[in-house]
Amino acid sequence: MSLQSLRESSELLARLTNTELELFESLSWEIEAKADEILFDEGEPADTFYVVIEGRVALEITSPGKSPMIIQTLGPGDLVGLSWLLPPHRWNWRARVTDDSRLIAFDAVEVRRQCNENRDLALEVYQVVADEVASRLHSTRIRLLDLYSRP
Amino acid sequence: MTTSATTSPALPPEAMLPRPFRVVARREETADTVTLDLKAEDGDSLQFTPGQFTMLYVFGIGEVPLSISGDPGSPDTLMHTVRAVGAVTEAIAALDEGDRVGIRGPYGTGWPMEETEGRDVVVAAGGIGLAPVRPVLLALLAARSRFGAVSLIYGSRTPLDLLYLEELHTWRSRFDVEIEVTVDRADAGWLGDVGVVTSLLPRIAFDPKNTVAVVCGPEIMMKVVAAEMASRGVGGGSIYVSMERNMKCAIGFCGHCQFGPEFICRDGPVFPYERVADRLRVHAL
Repeated sequence: MSLQSLRESSELLARLTNTELELFESLSWEIEAKADEILFDEGEPADTFYVVIEGRVALEITSPGKSPMIIQTLGPGDLVGLSWLLPPHRWNWRARVTDDSRLIAFDAVEVRRQCNENRDLALEVYQVVADEVASRLHSTRIRLLDLYSRP
Repeated sequence: MTTSATTSPALPPEAMLPRPFRVVARREETADTVTLDLKAEDGDSLQFTPGQFTMLYVFGIGEVPLSISGDPGSPDTLMHTVRAVGAVTEAIAALDEGDRVGIRGPYGTGWPMEETEGRDVVVAAGGIGLAPVRPVLLALLAARSRFGAVSLIYGSRTPLDLLYLEELHTWRSRFDVEIEVTVDRADAGWLGDVGVVTSLLPRIAFDPKNTVAVVCGPEIMMKVVAAEMASRGVGGGSIYVSMERNMKCAIGFCGHCQFGPEFICRDGPVFPYERVADRLRVHAL
């Protein structure tokens, strides 16, 4: 599946220009992942990030002797992985596929290299990721309010 | 200055008189929330519009406003879903089949059902806020062909706090309604979504220019959902919220629920969001 065809269903991809989309197309490939497959784990190098085509991915944190806790789930159109853009380029969470899924994988190392060489591209990529970070921070703050607890 | 809050019509003498009802069924929804089916002792039905509420009186303990969560097409049975959070609601949650209570109402404005005809409808509920919008969903599904796309986005604290689980599964099995559920926290055993309720909006199909949004939950949740709906192009006049705060007498008499120039019990509890949005930013109101 081409990134162009995903554009309508992904607010993230919709922000990219045609030129940027072509570049990202050349740095990406489609994968299928079964339920419970781990895309990446806490502490590992962040060298590949993903956009969900269909299915669902859970970001989790694990702790010895305890059931993993799900921080957030991501669905069609969502970006899986933010730490690839910022040093030390290591994942903070585990990403586990919860439903059989199809995803687009991106070569994060090459995207970073291209950003270092092309400041216009870097600005756009940082803006897209910063928007995503801001959106997730906003959502996290709302959830921190524990709105549905007993008044 | 004359405001609507100062122009109450004369009260009929029966306005404060409860009708006796009996509990005919009780279901535990969650650890602290129960659903009660009630029937009037006089056998008469209680006709209501989705979004309206009654005053339920536990004799000797007190009276509280409760949104009606039953089927408007079956007015012989009055259904309330109640979360035990205070003395009266704890007493209500402890009621059993055969117990007697007093009911006044129904009161208040309903959801804009006529306005939804021919349009897409997005129902957004948070926590116990699913109870007041359940009648909307039942009414929409009962006359499904009269509406455009119909969807429910529902946020809950944990999977254990989800209301009407069987019904959610039933609705999900239909092909003519989208049901999306998320929780704020869950362990890895939960197979659904984790995240804020607005994260579900990109998943559902609706035409922003031809959509009515029905939003019910904590006020902050309603503000966040309304802002997100507006950012997607839904007009403020097509977003409706239910302001269920401080209601006491239900007839615009005591002033307890005054909200700016209006009484929520009489002029609401359902309001177009654009009518109350500014007031929701006033700290002391």
